[in-house]
Amino acid sequence: MNKKPIPTIIGVGRTKFGEHYEREPENLIEEAWLKASEEAGIERKDLEAGYFSDYFLPLTNKIGLEEGFLSELSELHIPMEISRSFSSALMNACNAIQAERYKLVLVGGMEKMTDRWDKIRDDLMMLEDPWSYYAGGTPEANHELLLREYIKKYGILGEDLEKLKIALAQIAVKNHFHALKNEHAQFRRPITLEHVFKARNRARRMLGLFDFAPISDGATALILASDEIASSYTDKPVYILGSSSATDYITFPSREERTGFLATRMAVENALKKAGISRKDIQLLEIYDQSTVMEMISLEDLGFAKFGTAWQYIYSSCEDYKGYYEIEGKKLFVNLNGGLKADGNPLGATGGAQIYEIFKQLRGEAGERQVKADGELSFGCALELEGFGTKAYCHILGRNVL
Amino acid sequence: MSSEPIERRVAYIGDRLRGSRCTLCGKEYFRVRDYCGRCGRKSFGKMQEIDLFYEKGELEVCTLINEPTNKFKKLGSFIYGIVSFHNGKIRVPGRLTDLIINENDEIDFASLEGREVVPRFRRRYAVKRSEIIPTISLAFTFADEYYPHQEYSKVNPNKDYETPGIVGYGVYISRFRIKEPHMERSVPFIDEDSITAAVEAGKLALIHSGVDNARIGKVYVGTESNPYAVKPIASKVAQVLKLGEEDRADGIQGVDAVDTEFACKAATSMFKDAASIVYYPKSEIEYAMVIGTDNSQAAPRGEPGGELDFFVGYGACAFIFGMKDVIAEIEGWYSVTSDTPDFWRRDQEPYPRHGGRFTGDPAYFKHIRKAAQKLMDKLGLKPEDINYFVSHQPNINFPTKVAKELGFKEEQYLPGLKVAKFGNTYSGASPTGLAAVLDQAKPHERILVASYGSGAGSDAYSFITTNQILEKRNRQKFTIEYQAENPFLYYVDYTTYRKFKTGLEAT
Repeated sequence: MNKKPIPTIIGVGRTKFGEHYEREPENLIEEAWLKASEEAGIERKDLEAGYFSDYFLPLTNKIGLEEGFLSELSELHIPMEISRSFSSALMNACNAIQAERYKLVLVGGMEKMTDRWDKIRDDLMMLEDPWSYYAGGTPEANHELLLREYIKKYGILGEDLEKLKIALAQIAVKNHFHALKNEHAQFRRPITLEHVFKARNRARRMLGLFDFAPISDGATALILASDEIASSYTDKPVYILGSSSATDYITFPSREERTGFLATRMAVENALKKAGISRKDIQLLEIYDQSTVMEMISLEDLGFAKFGTAWQYIYSSCEDYKGYYEIEGKKLFVNLNGGLKADGNPLGATGGAQIYEIFKQLRGEAGERQVKADGELSFGCALELEGFGTKAYCHILGRNVL
Repeated sequence: MSSEPIERRVAYIGDRLRGSRCTLCGKEYFRVRDYCGRCGRKSFGKMQEIDLFYEKGELEVCTLINEPTNKFKKLGSFIYGIVSFHNGKIRVPGRLTDLIINENDEIDFASLEGREVVPRFRRRYAVKRSEIIPTISLAFTFADEYYPHQEYSKVNPNKDYETPGIVGYGVYISRFRIKEPHMERSVPFIDEDSITAAVEAGKLALIHSGVDNARIGKVYVGTESNPYAVKPIASKVAQVLKLGEEDRADGIQGVDAVDTEFACKAATSMFKDAASIVYYPKSEIEYAMVIGTDNSQAAPRGEPGGELDFFVGYGACAFIFGMKDVIAEIEGWYSVTSDTPDFWRRDQEPYPRHGGRFTGDPAYFKHIRKAAQKLMDKLGLKPEDINYFVSHQPNINFPTKVAKELGFKEEQYLPGLKVAKFGNTYSGASPTGLAAVLDQAKPHERILVASYGSGAGSDAYSFITTNQILEKRNRQKFTIEYQAENPFLYYVDYTTYRKFKTGLEAT
């Protein structure tokens, strides 16, 4: 019996994230994809299909069928599909490679949010949780409510509560620190705990401006091949060993679990099972820090910290930050590109930046950002969410096939 | 531009907070569902419709929203959170309403969390004048503050009467007040209008009467401040309160609903129609509801018509008429009308104008005197035969003067004179006075009511209370007295009140 093909990344590319006032969305994805093609050493005509993502370009940029724009731009007439997040496009591409439908495909994500800066929060909230929107909710409110539920559930009080607040602020500070070395990041400036706390005081809430990822423009792309042909393009392939997703109710208040995301918990279990590795093998994590709270609860939902405890490890690791979190003696490198907070969050492209970072790190090509793990750097995991934990996508990447 | 089918669907669920319960496993859902997720196909047809409209919830967690989405900007800053019902079987998002949050207010969220809240029927957010006004009941107030939680128990009537009369009533006056030199007046919060007050008053009347909402065959809403030139308030009332027989599949109510307009007598004029329709056997209408609702409609001070902006109030009254379990029978009526243009609002003008010299003697006094005197003559009554006299009350002086002219003494007209507390609530003004009297009247007392509507006319009615007035009294906590003297009243200044009409800025 033939062995199933393994989806293999042979090249990645991305734009800088931030505001690209003068540029069209297709112009951004062209840049990302040309870089990825160049790194992979492929030609346009080699591509058999394209899997693309954007969360809401037809709404924000009033464009028609995205596939048509991309066909016109690339002069390609191959099958193209659009989904909402980069991870969902990647998962569909992986499925197609594994089903032996294609051997070489392009995966790309793009978003242009700043063009609709004045209406973007209404759009986001409407898509994320319509009934909460009808009741007056904002994109930030659910994060705050989740945090308050978390504090209540785990009975975090007094000094511990102060530590938790500091730990959340440290996440933002840490992510800005990592972004200093990321030439593509939206924010390349250090921030301090004071910045975070000042913004919280201004907001009169537990979370302030510096606890949230920005709105961004940007694009990312990668070339995905079957492992069989990957070796003819590169001697440093990165394999997608596990790819999984799960879905939860759209109305956050209706969910049974409101101190974390059920979808993340299910997606990671499946992805680990498919990859055939355990959590302790994973050294790199790119997680979806739409807010500092999201980074904290994702560590728990992914199973790296017990429920209700992640803040303690964040706090102790960040008192004198060495570039990683230390959780029960294990080093975990988290959001080395600066996370959504500092790298930026152009929704449809964000997942591509996560994969980009893990790819570069695993190949030892992350330049100034390159981390040194204990032993060989072998596995990384990316978690991307759609909506407010409504969908979770988990991808496990490795340098070697097990 | 809002989408009408979407507005209809959101309002249909959100106005009443409709949900479903699986009769197999007991799981509850916000929103109507055909089957239970837990029980699957076998639960088809076994889902029971529920709603949270008369329920009490708990504010579980909350936060401050001071950068609302665009649609909610005019509401200013507000508290928003998750409200649970039925011990956590259902959770919904919700906004706390009736709070003004200032820039420097420190908010202790923990002190709000865990408190009981009750749903309020309100505008969802502000829209342009040309758009559909979105409404929702995912707005809440604390149950231990101004609006108490009241259960709605349907009571089977046990006594038939030969004459029709009032079987229950409810008065809704907002929490917000302004102090003027000689009086106080009620003003609508930013998410309130004549529509929201009408629904709330109707709800209170159902609670007080114990009448099954499905047995109400007609609803009249009298108003001169409907935010729509075309589109009735009565249809909203019928839908939200589920008046008449409900056809769930089509979301339609088997009820007749109509708006009426005649300045401040738009509601009292329909008392006799409501009484007649329940009296006429072939109408097959057991109960009819009459609502008077108005929204402090006046131009700002200093502009033409702005002289009214010292007196106008906001609120609604609802009366249910029937021939069973009557608390006050109608003894008789007399109406008068003349073409007197003392007060008017032209089409497409935002505020009414006022005729100055017309409003006193040739208008208000002439019509009320005539209607009241004619009715007393017809029934052979003298002032001393009447226990209470209530008239339209645009200010304190007019009703006092007309009462004295007709020969009434203070003890007869003061119990029903409430303008000094609420302002002139227009269509709701004389009905509020009537409600104040019914709140305290003993059985077998006679009440004479004379409304006044500019344009001009007056309806005079004589009511005689029954024994049943006492047994129904304890069903209503939200009485006139409760609304007039309440520790949770929120006094605002004139500028803030005008901002309620144009929009608060988030701080």
